[in-house]
Amino acid sequence: MYLNRDSTGENWRVRPDGVEKVTGSLKYLTDLSFPNMLFGKILRSQYPHARIKFIHIDEAKKLKGVHGVLTYKDIPGLNGFGILEPDQPVFCYDKVRFIGDAVAAVAAESKEIAEKALQLIKVEYEVLSVVDDPEQSILSSALKIHEKGNILHRSSFKKGNIEEGFNNCEIIIEETYDTPRQIHAYMETEGGVVVPNKDGGITVYMGTQHGYFDRFQLSRILNMKENKIRVVSSPMGGSFGGKDELNVQPYGALLALYTGLPVKIHQNRNESIRAGLKRHPMRITMKTGADRKGNIFAHEVYIIADTGAYATLGVSVLENAVENAVGPYRIPNIDIEGVSVYTNNGISGEFRGFGSNQAVFALEGQLDRLAEKLNMDPIELREKNIRSMDDCGPLDQTIIPSDGAKETLNAIKQSNILRMTKVVSDKWKRRGVGIAITMLGSGLGSGIPDQGAGRLSIGKDGKIIGAFGGEEVGQGILSVIETLLMNAFNCGSDDLKVVIGDTDLVPHSGSTTASRATTMIWLAIEKMKESFQSHILQHVSQLIGVPKHQMYLGPGGIWSDSRLVLSYSDLGNQLNEPIEVLVEFPYPQSNDVKQKGRYLFSFAAVAAGVEVDLLTGKVMVLGLDQAIAAGPVISPMGYLGQIEGSGVMSIGYSLMEDCQMEKGEYTTENFDTYLIPTICDIPPEMNVYAIETLQPGDSFGPKGIGEIGTVAVAPAIVKAIHDAIGYWCNRIPVSREGILQAVEKERGKWI
Amino acid sequence: MDMNIEVQFKVNHQHVKLHIPPLCSLNDILRDHLSLTGTKVSCGIGRCGACTVLKNGQIVNSCLLRAFQLNEVEILTIEGLGEENLDPIQRALIEEGGFQCGYCTPGMILAIKALLEKHPHPTQEQILEGLSGNLCRCTGYGGILRAVNSI
Repeated sequence: MYLNRDSTGENWRVRPDGVEKVTGSLKYLTDLSFPNMLFGKILRSQYPHARIKFIHIDEAKKLKGVHGVLTYKDIPGLNGFGILEPDQPVFCYDKVRFIGDAVAAVAAESKEIAEKALQLIKVEYEVLSVVDDPEQSILSSALKIHEKGNILHRSSFKKGNIEEGFNNCEIIIEETYDTPRQIHAYMETEGGVVVPNKDGGITVYMGTQHGYFDRFQLSRILNMKENKIRVVSSPMGGSFGGKDELNVQPYGALLALYTGLPVKIHQNRNESIRAGLKRHPMRITMKTGADRKGNIFAHEVYIIADTGAYATLGVSVLENAVENAVGPYRIPNIDIEGVSVYTNNGISGEFRGFGSNQAVFALEGQLDRLAEKLNMDPIELREKNIRSMDDCGPLDQTIIPSDGAKETLNAIKQSNILRMTKVVSDKWKRRGVGIAITMLGSGLGSGIPDQGAGRLSIGKDGKIIGAFGGEEVGQGILSVIETLLMNAFNCGSDDLKVVIGDTDLVPHSGSTTASRATTMIWLAIEKMKESFQSHILQHVSQLIGVPKHQMYLGPGGIWSDSRLVLSYSDLGNQLNEPIEVLVEFPYPQSNDVKQKGRYLFSFAAVAAGVEVDLLTGKVMVLGLDQAIAAGPVISPMGYLGQIEGSGVMSIGYSLMEDCQMEKGEYTTENFDTYLIPTICDIPPEMNVYAIETLQPGDSFGPKGIGEIGTVAVAPAIVKAIHDAIGYWCNRIPVSREGILQAVEKERGKWI
Repeated sequence: MDMNIEVQFKVNHQHVKLHIPPLCSLNDILRDHLSLTGTKVSCGIGRCGACTVLKNGQIVNSCLLRAFQLNEVEILTIEGLGEENLDPIQRALIEEGGFQCGYCTPGMILAIKALLEKHPHPTQEQILEGLSGNLCRCTGYGGILRAVNSI
């Protein structure tokens, strides 16, 4: 089904947070103020790599209006954070490893005083040479960034016999692909307020994608019991993975506890780019071989990822890249080696797609180059090698049965973009089309604790309350929860209250990442709905004497024989204590994989059409269609918006965005030099086709679609450019210079 | 020595008189001094449009306007729009999915308002040009375009 307002009819429901957002009345956490609130600022490193000799803070402390100046000496607990490995110091003490490393923080009565205080802190450094090339960093002769060395992680996957595999190949393609350091560019930069509580604890009003994990990490840093820390983590003005790790929470918390006053920190854009996560730049070499008929026999991959100065989730990003380097293809002989390397280049970490974008750009590039060599249609080559419904996953793990790979490929074959006219009146313009496909897992992967949970209750206020540990980053989780609850209980939105993003109010249901939230919440409601309904009806039966089995939940209250017998508010009035059901369960995982692999997958196919300007090298994307197989569509407006938004974000990734660094320093520090797509850069034609089938045996309901729309866009665009002008580009973003050079090489061809 | 200046202007038809540093940005005035946090801040250098307000009906980035430039002007922020009933622009964005995280939305709405006041029946080209200064990272602009086209 093509998703749009007309095709989805009454399922096209507006967002519950809509009115607040269009009137500006919604308080984002960076909009909050409290009485006597101070303003916090963080002093970041002056160098990408240096030893700290001394930190002078006395002058800053003396400045009028300054309430606190903190350094590593002021941390009660662990001086480190990081979701998988806490190797990032809250405050550096011996050395700094990137230009955004924190050295000190101040709290003052105004932003201006805090700024001035930062200037009064003098840090003596001994500058070290900068390690900014992952291929150099990996050498044993390289200067060590961490005591343990410069390798964060190695991940590999082997299958069959790679040498024999290549021996049977008649065509072999070997290419190296480079991908950029993309900035999340969420519109709301990091921040919020930390408020000290009377009991010695704190309330942290700062956006994140996993409130409970922030609480755990903060408890470790503050040496404070977790139950004394409340994290309010929603709503956010975007995240895309970028606010998954701690950012300014530790500084807000330390300053609030030290001063005894609320402290607000809101990073400006330059601070955000300096300190924040980026997408891993990767260099991926792939050697892929097939016979003359196009049967792929062997696939060898080497991935080197620039993880920057600290770990955060670099390990998992690499593992996901390894998983996605195989893709939805059946290849008998595989040898993948991946390595993630520390450098002094910022920090790479979690970002929508999570390592798959890089791997799929390379993998689909290989398929297209192979098709050209074989003189075969790229779709036909894919069909020849594509997985079937019951095939194992990319790492040979058991995965949920799905025919999504074929279904999406078949659907995209119908896209009008592939039939667009290539005749242009302007003789300096050329058009081309390309496709690419992918599969993407959801959840954290096997072997990693991945908690799901939910709570349903009804209390005095007569509202059915659904509480889940998710965060609203814009993706529309509130719509998903509201719709699922309305469907479960056949009630109206007025009968509901949805609670998320507050560790004091919601159960621990894991992170709002890895495209996992929709499935997790659907599963939780499925597990709870009968028991919750039964508890309510039991109680109502005792109140009004109607037999339990004759009643059901509906709009406004409890119904029997098509008649409202008790409203929810009357029920609430008569409740001495809330009726409540809680469920906790693990997110579905594969049990038979040796390394991190996923169990639940969704699938996508992309068609892109471009127009290349031979004189300027400009590429305009004229059309971008995506076919997605991710189970039932819960919120059509949200689904469409996620895939369109993913598509445009990935047009940026393909053609515009690269956060460049020189010797460990950012040269693109704001939106004047780092350009993201504007409304003028979007394709005039964008369609989203949703395939909703679930195979027998798939009892896991809808799959998340927050990431998959970003994954296969770049290779489709790059193939479309090749189709237009015959230029194979191995490096994204595709540069205008590259196109002009390619055009120049074949000067005579164009007129 | 008092370095502050006195400025008098109107925000959402209300008279405002402030004694503030001359270089204080309108964005800080709105967000910090007047608690009008519907106006957002994102890039701080006039490149993203999240802080868009209307000054005498003209679209401006509030992060670039300073206190000394404000005397006698009329500022319209998102809080001044649709106070009684939602403006048709606001309704259209809700109905077409013209926002997700919502952080660019107040600025986007004021940009659309300025666009429609200048061109009540804008061509596609005029829409693109009129909204090109307002970045949205979530929607890919599809819902925003559908909303503007539906008004």
